[in-house]
Amino acid sequence: MMSFPQFMDQWETYADQFEKKMMDEENLKVKVNLEMPSSDQYESILQARLSGNDAPDLFTLHSNNISTYNKAGHLTDLSNEPFTEKLFENVKKTITHDGKILVVPIESQAWGVLYNKKIFNELNLKAPETLDELEKITETLKQNGYTPFLLAYQEQWVPQLMTALTLGGKVSGEVPDWVERMYAGDGSYEEMRDIFGPIDLIMKNGTERAMELGSELGAADFANGKAAMFVQGTWASGTIMQTNPDMELGVFPLPINNNKADTLVNLSTSTTLAVHPDSKVKDVALKFANYVLDDNDSSTLFESTRFNPIATIHNYETDPWVTDAYQYVEEGRSYQDLVLPQAVTEEQGKLLQEYYVGSVTKDEFIKRMDEVFAGAVK
Amino acid sequence: MFSKQKENRILLVYVLPALIAYLLFKLYPAILGFYYSLTDWNGIDQSYEMIGLANFKEIFADVYFWKSIQFTLKYVVVILVVSNVLALLLAVLIESRMKARGLFRTLFYMPNMISMIIGGYMWVFIFTRVIYYLADKSGLAFLDQSWIGDPRYSFIAIIIVSSWGTVGYLMLIYMAALQGVPLQLKEAAVLDGANSWNVFRNVTFPMIQHAFTICIFWSLSSAFQVFDVIYALTGGGPGRATQSVAMNIYEEAFKGNIRYGYATAKSTILFVIVFLLTLAQLKIMKRKEQEL
Amino acid sequence: MKLKQKAGNIIVYSILILLLIYWLFPLFIAILNSFKTNGELLTNVLSLPKELQFENYFRTFEKMNYARSLMNTVIVASIGVSLMILFSAMAGWRLARTKTKLSTFIFGLFVFSMLVPFSSIMIPLYKTMLMFNINNSLIGLGLVYVGLGVSMAIFLYHGFVKSIPKEIEESALMDGCRPFQIFIYIIFPLLKPVTVTVCITNVLWIWNDFLLPLIALSKNEKYTLLLSTNTLFGQYSSDWSAILSALILAAIPVIVFYAIFQKSILKGISEGATKG
Repeated sequence: MMSFPQFMDQWETYADQFEKKMMDEENLKVKVNLEMPSSDQYESILQARLSGNDAPDLFTLHSNNISTYNKAGHLTDLSNEPFTEKLFENVKKTITHDGKILVVPIESQAWGVLYNKKIFNELNLKAPETLDELEKITETLKQNGYTPFLLAYQEQWVPQLMTALTLGGKVSGEVPDWVERMYAGDGSYEEMRDIFGPIDLIMKNGTERAMELGSELGAADFANGKAAMFVQGTWASGTIMQTNPDMELGVFPLPINNNKADTLVNLSTSTTLAVHPDSKVKDVALKFANYVLDDNDSSTLFESTRFNPIATIHNYETDPWVTDAYQYVEEGRSYQDLVLPQAVTEEQGKLLQEYYVGSVTKDEFIKRMDEVFAGAVK
Repeated sequence: MFSKQKENRILLVYVLPALIAYLLFKLYPAILGFYYSLTDWNGIDQSYEMIGLANFKEIFADVYFWKSIQFTLKYVVVILVVSNVLALLLAVLIESRMKARGLFRTLFYMPNMISMIIGGYMWVFIFTRVIYYLADKSGLAFLDQSWIGDPRYSFIAIIIVSSWGTVGYLMLIYMAALQGVPLQLKEAAVLDGANSWNVFRNVTFPMIQHAFTICIFWSLSSAFQVFDVIYALTGGGPGRATQSVAMNIYEEAFKGNIRYGYATAKSTILFVIVFLLTLAQLKIMKRKEQEL
Repeated sequence: MKLKQKAGNIIVYSILILLLIYWLFPLFIAILNSFKTNGELLTNVLSLPKELQFENYFRTFEKMNYARSLMNTVIVASIGVSLMILFSAMAGWRLARTKTKLSTFIFGLFVFSMLVPFSSIMIPLYKTMLMFNINNSLIGLGLVYVGLGVSMAIFLYHGFVKSIPKEIEESALMDGCRPFQIFIYIIFPLLKPVTVTVCITNVLWIWNDFLLPLIALSKNEKYTLLLSTNTLFGQYSSDWSAILSALILAAIPVIVFYAIFQKSILKGISEGATKG
């Protein structure tokens, strides 16, 4: 069971290859059944399956949820599986919990704001380092008839990316103990008020009808040049490049204020694959888990889905925007994605939608987030 | 003809197949659901604890739940009026003409055949792509709104779509009732010098009272559980601006903190509200029917 | 008088036609655009397609496994509805005829839960299905629909039986017919109007139901039409022409069904509702 409906074809092919490989090498007749609900239904279905002791043999989950699922006993320890040897160190770090590797990472990326390099080059603009510079860029774009930002807020996880980036940058740059204190109950979103700097800027200078645009359609619009920048991870590049193969895509970290130390790219592992401990065909499930990082076949899969390379066996040429983003990582200007409770992440998305349409103020946002955080860690 | 005992035995034989299916797939899950509402189960852990009525106590202070109740009530009232008025209007207009009666009836009922998931998507396309285009080309500026993104307008959009999906059914019921009104009665009234509104008000209306009871009962109980339409159009957003009770329950059970026990407590409350409301409605309308 | 009537006609028909346009607009627009390429669709949603892109349909037809999904839906709906009719006609008949405390109690039990929201039974129901190992079974899903639907059906049959004179059965009994023969040869044919209603409303319900199959069926080869359509939405969420052609494909069987049986459907619905 997976949450990649947009990559159905690629995974189907991969599953077929796996079936064939099992047949050829071990004379094992395997049939892979791929269940791909749409992303907004994925969690409820997974939950129903897990609660009914009808768990899928393998399932995808966001790396932030690893500890919840682990506590409930739904993850198998994969620390001794061969694939772990192949992982890049920085990727391995993002999925290790208490010294154990519990999942196979699939999507791992350095990300920030996507921008249209053609437009930037045409106007002689450079990736911004501070909020002032970002404001200047916004002005220049407007003067030249471009809409600066693409807004696609229909799905709440998209506006939520802005909080992920701004909180992440601010916390990693200035207040490293904020998350810890929030969990302990003596922090507040008040300290994070800066985040509204870029959020306001983006919302005020974006495309219209943001609430009607889903992430995929948004990516298509961005590819067609509707706006110059898009707060969205590199995972959207698949749709973007498919819509407009000539797109010149770039990535820069979102500045939060004028402190350059806060302007960092987010390094995170989002989707991972887990093996359920009660699987009736655990051997095969483990084989599939390893096959995801197969020496021969994995590169093609990762390249065709435009996932970033995450292991030493990945030898395909990375896309220029990926190189862009990892440039920052190499300069040490990156941070690990913050691990916040699921309810907090979702609430941020919801409140940002409301903030966008004007039914919630900054103060209400801060107050509400403090409450939700307290409720989630109770 | 038979002794009571024998009658009961025969009864059981005939009822058994239906009863088994019903007990297994409806009543037992419903009771189990109620049982979970007394626990703190999160839906994925293997273990949970009985916490008595704590969930119910918490609901009283749950701002979002009451907001969603408020939204649902607003929706119920508006859709009740809009869809019944529209259905009655259609029924009266179609019934009053001889030509193409069957054709109109057939076409107006059509949306009821199609799943709301399918119909909802068609409307999303209309609201996000077509209306925008129309406003642009025809200069109808009032159309140029964020129909499913702005809470002020998305309520209208929701009403438009759900009346589209329900009016056909109500229309059929009203039409059947209208056909039951004897022509002589109406003619007699006209001869007495009544105008058509008076005829409708004083002759037709009392005769179709029964249809009102049915239609209102049906709209009431289905509108309270509204989910599909809103899910397809706005997903409850922006934020929670268009969240109905059913959606609030769904969110509580499957998203965020995942609190299945708490969510079932909420749906128990929803059940009680709907149960009491429809009961009251039936009582009142039945009394009215008898008075007439 | 004549003139006034004519004017009235014109007004009524224009109102009806205006409403009809609004009514059929979504369907019309969806069909129109499903024949365009995605690029064409994005530039102009109201124009006629430059050339008919049957390609969209071929693609979605294959992706949805249309024939298989259609067959699955037919299996679930026919099992669910036929058993529901048989069981609830039997039960409704005896419940209406037996005047004992037990009978009242059982009837009350059936009617009581008609208003229980689906959200509160969803997970427990799924657990029950697992208990009997009928998840991923089309027949099992059909049976579940029987359990969920009998309340309403029994309610309808119960109401209708009361309007059938008891004497018919009694004289048959005198002639030495067994109760089951009476049911099959005398009662069931008399119940036909309700049967039509129950059949139609439940076929539509099962056909268009989404949440239950979504949870109960996890194997692609068991997917119903609506589930396959839904999967396709996820896969092509940035491609409206694919989505629209899938919508049309998913709606076609119901519309054909409607076109063939519309007389009995319309009659069944209105009669059923007024009897209930």
